[in-house]
This record gives sequence, C-alpha cells and structure tokens, in this order.
Amino acid sequence: MTVDLTVNLGSLPLKNPVMTASGTFASGREFSDFVDLTRLGAIVTKGVSMTPWPGNASPRIAETASGMLNSIGLQNPGVEAFIEGDLAWLSTNASSTPVIVNVSGHSAADYARVIERLETQDSVAAYELNISCPNVDTGGMAFGTSSTAAAEVVRECRSATNRPLIIKLSPNVTDIVEIARTVEAEGADAVSLINTLLGMAIDANTRRPMLSRVVGGLSGPAIKPVALRMVWQVACALDIPIIGMGGIMTAEDAIEFLIAGATCVAVGTGNFIDPTTTMKVIDGIDEWCRSHGVEQVTDLVGSLEVSW
Amino acid sequence: MTHTEHPFVEHVEVLSNVRVASGVGLLSLTAPRCAATIRPGQFVHLRIGTQTSNLLRRPFSVHRAYGQTIEILYQVLGAGTLQLAEKEPGDTSMDLVGPLGTGWRVPQNTSHALLVAGGLGAAPLGMLAEQLAEAGIATVVAQGAPTAERLVARVLFDRVARRTEVATDDGSAGERGFVTAVTARLLAAEKFDVVYTCGPEVMERAVIAQCQERGVACQVSLERLMACGIGACLSCVVTTKSGLKRACVDGPVFDAEEVLFDATEIPPKH
Ligand SMILES: Cc1cc2nc3c(=O)[nH]c(=O)nc-3n(C[C@H](O)[C@H](O)[C@H](O)COP(=O)(O)OP(=O)(O)OC[C@H]3O[C@@H](n4cnc5c(N)ncnc54)[C@H](O)[C@@H]3O)c2cc1C
Ligand SMILES: Cc1cc2nc3c(=O)[nH]c(=O)nc-3n(C[C@H](O)[C@H](O)[C@H](O)COP(=O)(O)O)c2cc1C
Ligand code: FES
Repeated sequence: MTVDLTVNLGSLPLKNPVMTASGTFASGREFSDFVDLTRLGAIVTKGVSMTPWPGNASPRIAETASGMLNSIGLQNPGVEAFIEGDLAWLSTNASSTPVIVNVSGHSAADYARVIERLETQDSVAAYELNISCPNVDTGGMAFGTSSTAAAEVVRECRSATNRPLIIKLSPNVTDIVEIARTVEAEGADAVSLINTLLGMAIDANTRRPMLSRVVGGLSGPAIKPVALRMVWQVACALDIPIIGMGGIMTAEDAIEFLIAGATCVAVGTGNFIDPTTTMKVIDGIDEWCRSHGVEQVTDLVGSLEVSW
Repeated sequence: MTHTEHPFVEHVEVLSNVRVASGVGLLSLTAPRCAATIRPGQFVHLRIGTQTSNLLRRPFSVHRAYGQTIEILYQVLGAGTLQLAEKEPGDTSMDLVGPLGTGWRVPQNTSHALLVAGGLGAAPLGMLAEQLAEAGIATVVAQGAPTAERLVARVLFDRVARRTEVATDDGSAGERGFVTAVTARLLAAEKFDVVYTCGPEVMERAVIAQCQERGVACQVSLERLMACGIGACLSCVVTTKSGLKRACVDGPVFDAEEVLFDATEIPPKH
C-alpha cells in the first residue's frame, strides 16, 4: 500500500504535511548536511524584517523542564541580505521545495514593505506573518494579542500580495479563536499555531533571571498539550487550513496534530535535538498511515473522535 | 570557515568513564567517524539523555582522538554532566553531532607556541598540544587551576610540551595565584609566534590583553550557550569587529583581536 502524503495548504500543494518552524531551521542551508531539503513539505525561513535587526543580549536561551526558553529577538540581516543570501541559495539548492518566508515588522506598514520587496522573487511560495513573537518590544506579539491590531496587519499585507498569506498566532491570549476568526475574515489563507508561550526561568542561587531579557518564549515538548488544545479549538471554528506546531519530536506527535485538525505540521525545537527530526517525522507518518490502513494523510485531518 | 568534513550524527559507545579529579571525569567514546575527522579545537554536541526532561544537547570539546576513540574531559556542573558521570562502559544510548566549529589554526612559520589553560579550558588544548609536538613546534603550556588535583591533562602536557608551568589558587602546585602571572612572565621572557587560550572568560581576557600589549597573535576558544550547535538558532552569538558571529560555526576559536568582549559571557556557576 502506498500512502498519499500530499496536502493542500489553501492554493499551495505540498508533497507532504511536514514543514520547518520559523527560526529553528535558519533557511535550511545549515541543515543540508543532515536533511534532504527537497523531501520537506515546505521550508519556513527565519523571521525576515525590512532592515537588519540585531536581536537581544545574551544569554538568549535557557533549558527548562522538557523545553527551552529563547529570547533571540528575531536577529536577521534584513530583506535585501536575505534575498541575496539564503533565498538565492535555496533557489539553487532546494528549488523543488516551496519556500515560505516568515515576515516580521514593527508596524503594519513594515510587514507590507517586506512583502512588497519579496513579490518580485519567484522562489517565494507564500508568506507567514509573525504577529506573535514575544521577544521584541515594538510589534511582534503586540499584533497577535489584539484583534484590531492583527486585523490591521493582515489587511495591509493582503493588499500587498496575492500569494498565500499565513498568519502565525500567539498562544499568549485569552481567546485564540477570536483572533483566528479575525484574521480569517481579513483574508488570511491559513493560520499557524502556536508560537512560543511567554515564560521565565530564575537561578535561585544568584537570584538572577536565566535570560538577559528576563522573559522569553517557551517551546518544546512542554508546550505540546497547549498547542494541541489550541489547534483543536481553532479547527472547530475556522474553514481555512491550520499549520500545527509546538513540541513535535516524533511522527506520532505530528499525527496527533493532524487528528486535532491541522493540515500541516511544523518541527521547531525538535530540529535542535536531532537535526534529522523532519525526515524521521515524514518517514514515520508514512509508516503510521500504512500500519493503520490510512490511504491519504488528509483523512487524518480533524479526525478526532470526541465521543466516548 | 574551513570544514574538512561535513558534520554528521554518530552513535557512540562508552568505552570508559573515570573520575580524574574532584568533579571532573574523563569519558572515552567509540566514535570512529568522529575520531577520524575531528581537528583540534572542534567540539561535539552530545545527546546525553533520551528523555525530554533535559532536552538540549551539551557541547564538549574533544580532548584527544586516536584510532576509533574520542576523549572528553568534563566538569560536573548540572543535570547533563551529572547524568554523564553515571554512564557505564558499554552504554550505547548517546549520540553526537560533530565535528563542529572551527579548530585552532596554526599560522605558517610557527616555531614557538604558548598554550594557556584555565581549569577545564585544558580540554580543547589537549589535541592541539599533541599536534604541535608532532609538527616539531616548541610548545610551552601555562596551566592554572584551583588545586594541584584539578590541573587536568597535566600528564599529557608534561609529555608533549617542551615545558609546563602551573599556578594554583591554593599553591598546592606551582606558584600560588593566577595563571596570568605565569603568562605575564613567559611573554616577557620569550618570543612566541602564537598564543592559544581557553578558560574562564576573565582569564582569557587578561591573556588577550597581555598578548595585545606585546603584539603576539592570540586565538581564544569561547563558550556560549548552544541549542542547535550548527548555526541555525542564533543562541550562541559573539560580538566581533565584523558583527555578530555564531560561536558554534564561526567559532568557538576566534582570533582574539576580532572579539569585542561585552556582557555576553556565560554567568559563572554559583
Ligand atoms: C564549544 C564548547 C565546548 C565545551 N567544552 C567543554 C569541555 O570540554 N568540558 C567541559 O566540562 N565543558 C565544556 N563546555 C561546557 C559544557 O557544555 C557545559 O558545562 C555543560 O553543557 C553543562 O551542562 P549541565 O547540564 O551539566 O549544566 P546545566 O547548567 O544544568 O545546563 C543547563 C544548560 O546550560 C548549558 N550550559 C551550562 N553551563 C555551560 C557552559 N559553561 N558552557 C556552555 N553551556 C553551558 C547547558 O548546555 C544546558 O543547555 C563547552 C562548552 C562549549 C560551548
Ligand atoms: C530559537 C527559536 C527561534 C524562533 N524564531 C522564530 C521566528 O523568527 N519567527 C517565528 O514566527 N517563530 C519563531 N519561533 C517559534 C517557532 O517557530 C515555533 O512556533 C515554536 O518554537 C513552537 O514549536 P516547537 O515547540 O516545535 O519549537 C522560534 C522558536 C525558537 C525555539
Ligand atoms: S548554537 Fe545554534 S546558532 Fe550556535
């Protein structure tokens, strides 16, 4: 039995549902010694802003129980350097894999300017708007925690492109469904969730925070239950596809997200623990489907049995 | 950045794991591919536990490599190294990502080298000392530690270096005080083509300042917190004259004059 792993992320066909989570895979080049990039469903790049961003002071990471905190702060060389460097590299070395550019900005207009600059680049398949980064002072999560602000960013960007527009949602909200509905109404083609949960870690002996920014974003297996819950809630309320992420380390983790209602999944922190995680997840989904008699991976999407 | 070999994932088997000083262990691993390709100053990113509780890999310099074996000299500090200290010969649960990072560079026409090790900073200098000796380069080692017992790798240095001079906090070996007093004396008395240093960042900075005063080339190995180890996550940045660099791929060995020291060093353990 061969399993059909193809999925459609809105108008974007993918060879399988497994993508990379922004900021954990650079733009793929660093992983090319470990991973066949052409096997990925899609590559989601690290956050790209209009001008270079320096990121935050160190220490920028801390290990926590079954997870990690980061306060990298979207360090990136800006869109021009991205086009000449990573994007050019990707179009020569992994041209058959759709590239989704993760976009950051300090204002709604900022996001739209990055997109306008990238519109001329044929190798960009879609955009993912990061309106949920907890590690920058202006913008970032501020857009993802208010429906009005989220709507404004999506509106500006929607008018700048016809390419698929994915909105990355923050879990640091009271009601994720409300924000999801808002971005859907503004014309988003898909949503991805979840970004990191705002957290902190303290060294009792020194009475100091473990991160120089004091607070940071929690990721890894520790957040998977929260992520699954949010994917399920949003899937129940929205018609557009969902990219589910948060603590995916194995194929079984990924399958749980599909069952909860995600059309695609993304591996983040898992890439740091084992650089070949994405490949193992793709192979594992295929095997799982085979052994469970699932002919099309899309049959799993939203297949949660809630009756007992 | 010159990579002789692309990094890979390799399963390792524990050959032996012995205590060499209080809180310091020497781990020998069977890792044929890594042993054959690692260069002095490079490191491996070791997955110690398979549970998710301590999720991240831990970076360790390769102290020595021969045949199919690599050696890691480690200090027990926290959860990961505590688990490491418990590993028994025959354990096959760990894997490494490596070889990673830049190694030490030996400038052309080097005939005299000074190695400055503070504490566990001796670890990445072991292979280098061996390599320099093989190349017939006159090597002096200045080593500092809290006590005589903690002068790890001293036997190796004594064997391969032309001379070893030590300093301990308690005076139990060599002179009492900091190794930087030794290096100040050595740099004033002898002419070195290059200085290699690894240790606590305060020590490294003092050694670099001494080298700069005398116009001696200096290379430094820096420690940063690392998540991925392969250049993707930007957790390990070092501020340099040419912008932010990643310690895991652009380092850990840097030309000392390139580094702009700021507040980014790993806070010392309580
Ligand atoms: C390139 C490089 C080479 C190294 N080589 C050696 C070596 O040869 N021998 C040796 O004993 N140590 C070495 N270290 C330091 C070693 O990685 C840490 O001591 C170790 O990770 C501590 O882990 P832990 O779980 O015991 O401590 P914990 O404090 O519980 O670790 C928590 C987290 O902090 C990180 N961390 C804690 N201290 C350090 C540190 N000083 N440097 C980097 N990360 C740290 C850990 O990796 C982990 O992610 C090296 C570090 C780097 C960056
Ligand atoms: C080091 C690090 C950097 C990240 N950078 C970004 C980023 O630039 N843009 C973004 O949208 N999300 C970023 N994220 C969030 C991840 O893409 C992902 O949403 C989150 O980590 C949850 O997934 P995980 O548990 O599999 O890591 C980052 C996460 C980590 C750990
Ligand atoms: S540890 Fe990830 S970039 Fe250096």
